Amino acid sequence: MATDLRISNISKIYPGCVANDNVSLQFKSGKIYALLGENGAGKSTLVKILSGVISPDNGEVFLNEKNLKLSSPLDAKKNKIGMVFQHFNLFETLSVFENLSIDATEDNKSLRVRINEILKKYNFNIDLDVPVLNLSAGQKQKVEIIRCLLRSPKVLIMDEPTSVLTEQETEELFISLKKFCDEGILIIYITHKLKEVLSLCDEVAVMRKGKVVSVSQTQNEKVETLANKMVGQKLAKIKKKINFSKNKDEIFKVKHLNFYSDDPFETNLVNLNFSVKKGECLGIAGISGNGQNELFQILSGEIITPNTSIIFRNKEIAKLNPKQRREYLMAFSPEDRISQAAVPELKIYENVALNNFKSSNFFEKGLVNERKIKEHSKKILSDFSVNTDNVELKSQFLSGGNLQKLILGRELITAPELLICYNPTWGLDVGAINYIHETLIKINDQEKSTILISTDTEELLKLSDRIAVIYKGKLSKIMPSDEVTPEKLGILMGGGSID
Amino acid sequence: MSLDISFIGILIGSIMASSVPLILAASGELITERSGVLNLGVEGMMIIGAISGFALMVITDNLFIAIIGSMLSGVVISLIFGFLTQSLLTNHVATGLALTIFGIGLSAMLGKDFVGIPGKDFPILFSSLRESVPFFGPILFGHSIILYFAFVLPFLTSYFLKKTKLGLIVRAVGDSPVSASNQGINVILVRYCCILYGGGLCGLAGAYLSLIYTPQWIENMTAGRGWIALALVVFATWSPIKVLIGAIIFGGISILQLHMQAVGFRIPVQFLIALPYLMTIIVLVVISRDSRKIKLNTPTSLGRIFYKEK
Repeated sequence: MATDLRISNISKIYPGCVANDNVSLQFKSGKIYALLGENGAGKSTLVKILSGVISPDNGEVFLNEKNLKLSSPLDAKKNKIGMVFQHFNLFETLSVFENLSIDATEDNKSLRVRINEILKKYNFNIDLDVPVLNLSAGQKQKVEIIRCLLRSPKVLIMDEPTSVLTEQETEELFISLKKFCDEGILIIYITHKLKEVLSLCDEVAVMRKGKVVSVSQTQNEKVETLANKMVGQKLAKIKKKINFSKNKDEIFKVKHLNFYSDDPFETNLVNLNFSVKKGECLGIAGISGNGQNELFQILSGEIITPNTSIIFRNKEIAKLNPKQRREYLMAFSPEDRISQAAVPELKIYENVALNNFKSSNFFEKGLVNERKIKEHSKKILSDFSVNTDNVELKSQFLSGGNLQKLILGRELITAPELLICYNPTWGLDVGAINYIHETLIKINDQEKSTILISTDTEELLKLSDRIAVIYKGKLSKIMPSDEVTPEKLGILMGGGSID
Repeated sequence: MSLDISFIGILIGSIMASSVPLILAASGELITERSGVLNLGVEGMMIIGAISGFALMVITDNLFIAIIGSMLSGVVISLIFGFLTQSLLTNHVATGLALTIFGIGLSAMLGKDFVGIPGKDFPILFSSLRESVPFFGPILFGHSIILYFAFVLPFLTSYFLKKTKLGLIVRAVGDSPVSASNQGINVILVRYCCILYGGGLCGLAGAYLSLIYTPQWIENMTAGRGWIALALVVFATWSPIKVLIGAIIFGGISILQLHMQAVGFRIPVQFLIALPYLMTIIVLVVISRDSRKIKLNTPTSLGRIFYKEK
């Protein structure tokens, strides 16, 4: 039976922000629809409304011309609207089966039979009796999809589904989605990744600042046209000149890096050895959870491991803490902007002061030199084009992109010799990503080095001079990036071998 | 003192009796905490239960009403906590502490007229078997029904959490209230229920003290047992059976050290008094070493305020 989903004049206003401004869209089964937009464009608000998590201030949703009242997630479920959120709605400490049985109406035996049928039909390989926290991101997503499929949905909404997947997993997902579509499920695919829209979807609606700015057939679109619609202006293309040369000095050298942990949430690192040359960007690829966190913390000095040698500018620094390492002109930009890099409740200038150096004189005789810090902060805000000049603003009110610019600015204004960053553009929109990529390339042009730990292969290929892959705590051999393809990286990231 | 067989039997019986209030209160708090709510008001709810039970017994002369009333009083006072933390989104820790202080004060005020009134004998079951069966008699028989209930409760709790749909929902809410809410589970309602359940059992635990264990009302008679129950839940890593083990060890060593003092062991009294706390912690830490299991049992959202997006 054909499904027809119509959204009519939806508006949702938050204090100080119009999240959805009179949004009207129409979807029909048999096609895969993309909803494209930058962060903050209102996509997530719209899907939350469709899944009943929040209710709109205005507007209506029609499914097969029936006016739906979606005031709770239960209403969406009852009306056969399935939803896979970007941040999984799973219970980590419960088993897969418990996760699936929690909202089931049938008894456990027949539920298990039905789940096994789905696993078989779509070739999913998941052990039902392990706790969800043991699963990979791709498997977790499959659990979410199974949860929707169990209710034989008419509409399946996927919110940024590939942000945590490898290339292979993404391909698998696309195959499954096309299968669902053939079976008559209406699929709405939310993303800010342009290539995915072009390779998967039939129709694309672009949102900007809460409004739908265009609806078109994907076959008539190209990456550039979609990007321009999404951002509302023309974007400069970034291309880095690879400057891999053998005879440059090694500025940073790691030997025998081993890390062992009892914590089941942490990954052990096994004998990592690598070095970084002056003016070079070393990329470290991998699916998240393969030891990147631990590696970053060891490189930054948050974790000190025994018997490891880290040489930086001809000095042994393996035993130094992050502050001491910064004194030697290293800089760090951790993955989690909110909880690791900045304190969201503090004002901008206070966050800047956290990163104090002996030379910066932020503190005199135990007192805060507010004037100096504020001057310094203003310089960061203007040098790194953060979208405010108010240093008194609490950092939590900055968007992800602006906060990341502030953090990079704070790290870079001291002209460090080595910047180590971990997923610097995670969750940012195209404009901010472009800016940060330009900045990282500029660092290398100035003969400073970077280590880029990232789960985004495209970013790594764009910025790195050499690339290695980390898988289950082990590092692959380091390859010049012009010899690397996304396919090769994908195989290594999935634990395969390319030789 | 002769260490004959029958004496050991009686000793074990008294150890069991002394661990009952801990088992009851900790089992209740365990369910509350498994739903992600940290209620530090256990001591306050227990003492309110103790005075309500005793006062109702004196006024109505009916033990059944007294027991039910004590549980209801626990429910009512925990409802205050529930309303504050779940509906008004106050901080769990501060609200729980306030509840304890409030409970102790209120019970002292209500209990003024009941000081010195003798309690009533609580009916015990199988009293004839207690005398006739050697050794096992005093262990298995001649207890109040509350004691039998307390010793079955951890197993029921474990079954509830592991095997029933409702138990699954409680664990899910404690793991991730946001996900649970997005699955259409009424998180606030589940948490209210768990808070009230915990309150009821704490009330019962208090009534056990004032009606059965030492049948009388003494101001502040819970004497920190609520805090021990709270600590038991954490050290037992939210496992009902381990709560039972911990409560028995604590009760056991509390009783044993009294006997040791009486016999005149040449160990400083202060050390003996500290012994139950020390041993309970050591044993529970040793039996709960598996960090993987701890992670699976710990309610991830414990003590965090949950509010629904609108």
